[in-house]
Amino acid sequence: MDVRRRNNVTVTGRADGPVLLLAHGFGCDQNMWRLVAPALAEHYQVVLFDYVGSGRADPSTWDERRYSSLEGYALDVMEICEELGLRDVTFVGHSVSAMVGVLAAAKAPRRISRLVMVAPSPRYIDDDGYRGGFSAEDIDELLESLESNYLGWSAAMAPVIMGNADRPELGQELTASFCATDLDMARVFARTTFLSDSRKDLETVTVPTLILECRQDVIAPREVGAYVRDVIPGSRLVTLEATGHCPQLSAPQATTGAITDFLAAAR
Amino acid sequence: MMCRIDQSEPEPGGKQDADATDAVFTSLLEDSAEELYEQAPCGYLSTLMDGTIAKINTTLLDWLGLARSEVVGRMRFTDLLTVGGKLYHETHFAPLLQMKGEISGIALDIKAAGGRMPALVTSKVKTSEDGEPLLIRTTVFDARDRRAYEAELLRGRRAAEEARRQSEADRVRLQEALAVLQQSLLPAELPVVPGLEAGSYYHTASPDLLGGDFYDLFPLDTGRWAFFLGDVCGKGPQAAAVTSLARYTLRAAALHDADPVTVLTTLNTVLHERYASGDGRYCTAIFGILHPADDGHVDLHLASGGHPSALIQRADGSAGYLPTPGGLLIGVLPRAPFTAARTRLLPGDTLLLYTDGLTEARTGPDRALYGEDALRAFTATQPPTGPKDLITALSGLLTSFGNGLDDDTALLALGVPAPSPTPASADLT
Amino acid sequence: MSALTITARDADTGPVLEITGDLDYETAPELRKAVDGLTVAAGQLLVLDLAHLDFCDSSGISALLSARSLAIERGGHIALAAVPANTARILRIVGLDQVFALHQDAATATTRSSAAH
Repeated sequence: MDVRRRNNVTVTGRADGPVLLLAHGFGCDQNMWRLVAPALAEHYQVVLFDYVGSGRADPSTWDERRYSSLEGYALDVMEICEELGLRDVTFVGHSVSAMVGVLAAAKAPRRISRLVMVAPSPRYIDDDGYRGGFSAEDIDELLESLESNYLGWSAAMAPVIMGNADRPELGQELTASFCATDLDMARVFARTTFLSDSRKDLETVTVPTLILECRQDVIAPREVGAYVRDVIPGSRLVTLEATGHCPQLSAPQATTGAITDFLAAAR
Repeated sequence: MMCRIDQSEPEPGGKQDADATDAVFTSLLEDSAEELYEQAPCGYLSTLMDGTIAKINTTLLDWLGLARSEVVGRMRFTDLLTVGGKLYHETHFAPLLQMKGEISGIALDIKAAGGRMPALVTSKVKTSEDGEPLLIRTTVFDARDRRAYEAELLRGRRAAEEARRQSEADRVRLQEALAVLQQSLLPAELPVVPGLEAGSYYHTASPDLLGGDFYDLFPLDTGRWAFFLGDVCGKGPQAAAVTSLARYTLRAAALHDADPVTVLTTLNTVLHERYASGDGRYCTAIFGILHPADDGHVDLHLASGGHPSALIQRADGSAGYLPTPGGLLIGVLPRAPFTAARTRLLPGDTLLLYTDGLTEARTGPDRALYGEDALRAFTATQPPTGPKDLITALSGLLTSFGNGLDDDTALLALGVPAPSPTPASADLT
Repeated sequence: MSALTITARDADTGPVLEITGDLDYETAPELRKAVDGLTVAAGQLLVLDLAHLDFCDSSGISALLSARSLAIERGGHIALAAVPANTARILRIVGLDQVFALHQDAATATTRSSAAH
C-alpha cells in the first residue's frame, strides 16, 4: 500500500530539521495549516497529510470500520511515521486530531516524542460535571445537519473560490480541497469526532505537551483547555489572543510563535 | 437614495391620477434608510472583526426572538448559529472571508425562535482607507423554502440511487439465476464417445432472457448413441420450461424406442397435449442415432421436425446438406409428419447441427440474411479436421456477426476422426 | 425496430387483421390479444394480412399458431395473406406451409371461393 498517496502526504521545510507532523481536524484538510506551514518550514521539516476521507486522500482506501474510531486515524498517523521513517516527531493536532495524537503517542512513544494540541477537545458533549460545550442534542443536530445541509455545504463553496481569479495562489488546489468532501465519509468522521470520549486516554500521555487554546473558541470552551492541562502532568497551556476554533487561520503568527517557543524550551 | 419622479410633465391621465401618484411617492420617501434597514426583508448585522455583534436589524432580531439589548455587544455572530453552522463557519466561512474579504450565498443554519432556520449568508469586510479591516457586514436571507426544496431534491436523489442500486442488484441476481437455469438445459459437458469426436457451442443473445435452444448426446445401448438439437419457439421462462420438457421427453422416448421419427412423434404428442389449452408451445428439433460400425464408419439415422437441415462436412473438404423436407414444427398438430434421412459418416466426416440463429443472422452493411448457402460455403472452406475445429471456426464466425446475431444459437458437431498418419505410413514417404 | 400495429376490418368471409410492423417476443402478445377480441363465427375465415409485416421471429410464428387455434376452436378457419418472402421461407422450413392456407393478398383470401375450402 502506498501510504504517501493514500494520505496525500506532503513534506516541506528543512530536510535536516526536527520533524513537525501537522494533523488537521474534522471538516477540512491539510490546507488548514497553509498560513503557518511556511513559517514553520524555516526551522523544521514539516509533514502534512490528509486523513482518509478528507481532502485529497485516496478515497478508494476508505474503510468505514477502520475510520469509525479514532484508533483508525491514529493508525494512519503511525503508518505515515513508519513509511517516512520519522522519529522524534512533534505531533501537532488540531481539534479532534489532538486526541488522535494522544493515541498514536501511546502506541509509538519512540516515534512521537512531543504533542502540540491546538484547540483540543477530548469530549465535545457536556457530561456530569464536565463541560465540553455541547449538549447531546446539539451533536445530534450537527450530525443531522450534515445530512440535510449538504447541498449547501458542498455546492455553495465552489463559485466563491472559483471566482477568485485575481488570487491564483488560492486557485485549483484550494477549490479541490474545500469541495472534495465526500458526504458519506464526512458523516463517519463527524460521528467519530463528536461522539467519542478520549478523556481516559489523556491520562496515558507521558510526553511533553503544549496545549494551545483561543481566548474565545466557539467550539471548545476555555474549561476544556484547563481540563486537558490538569489531566496531563507537566503540560503547558497557552491561551492565544485569538477568536474562533482555528487559531492557525485566525492568528497564524501567534500560533507559530507558541509552537516555536515550546520546541525551543524542550530542547 | 430614492429616485424622484420628474413632475414637470404630468401624465396624460389627468390631475387626479397625478395626485394619487404623488401620495404614493411621498409615503415611499418617508421610508427612510433607517426604516428600510430595520424592516428589510432580510437580516442585517455588523460585527467587529472578532465577531462581536455591533449592529443588528429588527427583521433578524424577530427571527431570533431576541431583544437588541441581549445581542448587541454581548453576542458574536457564531452565537447565532447552530452547532453545524458554527463548525462550518470556523472551517470554511471565516477562513474564506479572511482570505477574500467577502463571501456570498453560503448556506448556514441560525438558531431562530422557532428552531433551526436555514439561511443564506453573505458577508463583506469593510476596511479603512489604508486597507485595515474594520468590521464585517452580513446579510442573512431566509432560505427555508429553498432548503426544503433542496432537501426534497436530496431525498429524491437518495431514493433514486437506492432504487437504482436495488434494481441493479436484482438484475445481477436474475442474470445469475438465468445463467444457472440456461446451463441446466444443456449437458454440462459432452460425453466421450468411443470412435467419435464431438463439439458444441452455445451463444447467449441476452443475459436477461433465457433462450430456447437445446442439444444433448447420450448412449442408447451397446454401441449406439443418440443426439438431438432443437429450438423452442419464443424465449424467456415459458420457452425454458418447454426446453426442459422437450429435452427430458426426447431422452426418455429414445430409451423406449430410438427410431428418430418415433421419438419426434412422442415429443409432438407430449407438447400438443401439454399445451392443448391456451397458447401452444412449439419447437423444432433434429433427433438422430449414431451406430459405429466395425470398419470405422458410422451409420447415421436422423429425423427432423421443422428444423433446418443438418450439414455434413466431408473428409474431402466438400460440404452438403442432408435434406429432411416436410417435417413439421413439433407440437402444432395432433399427428404430424416427420422426415427421416440416413447417411454414412466416414472417417474425417463431420455432421453439424445448428439452430437458426446462425442462418438467420444478418450480415454486412445491408444486413443481408446469412443463409444456408453461405453456411455451406463457409464450411467447405474449413479444413476437415474434425468437430472441435469446425465448432471453433463457427464460434468465430458468430462473433464476427456482432449485433447482426440477435438470437440464441446452439451448435453441435459430431464426427468420425480421420485416421492419424501412422508411423508406418510416415515411413512410406 | 418498428412497433406492431393491428387493424381489424370485416370482410364478407369474416374478420381481417392487417398486421403492420414487427411480430416478435415483445409484440406477439398484442396479436394474441387482438385475435382474442375478435368474433369468429363458425364457418368464417380469419384472414391475417401480412403485407406490411416487417419482421417475424419464432415468437411471432407462435402467435400465428395461437390465432389459428382460436379460429379453429370457434369453428372457423384461418388464412395468411401476402406473406413476405422471408416469413414464407421460415414457414416452409418449419413445415407450416402445410398448416396455413396461404394467399397472394387479402383480396384473394376474402373472395368467397377461396374461403369455401
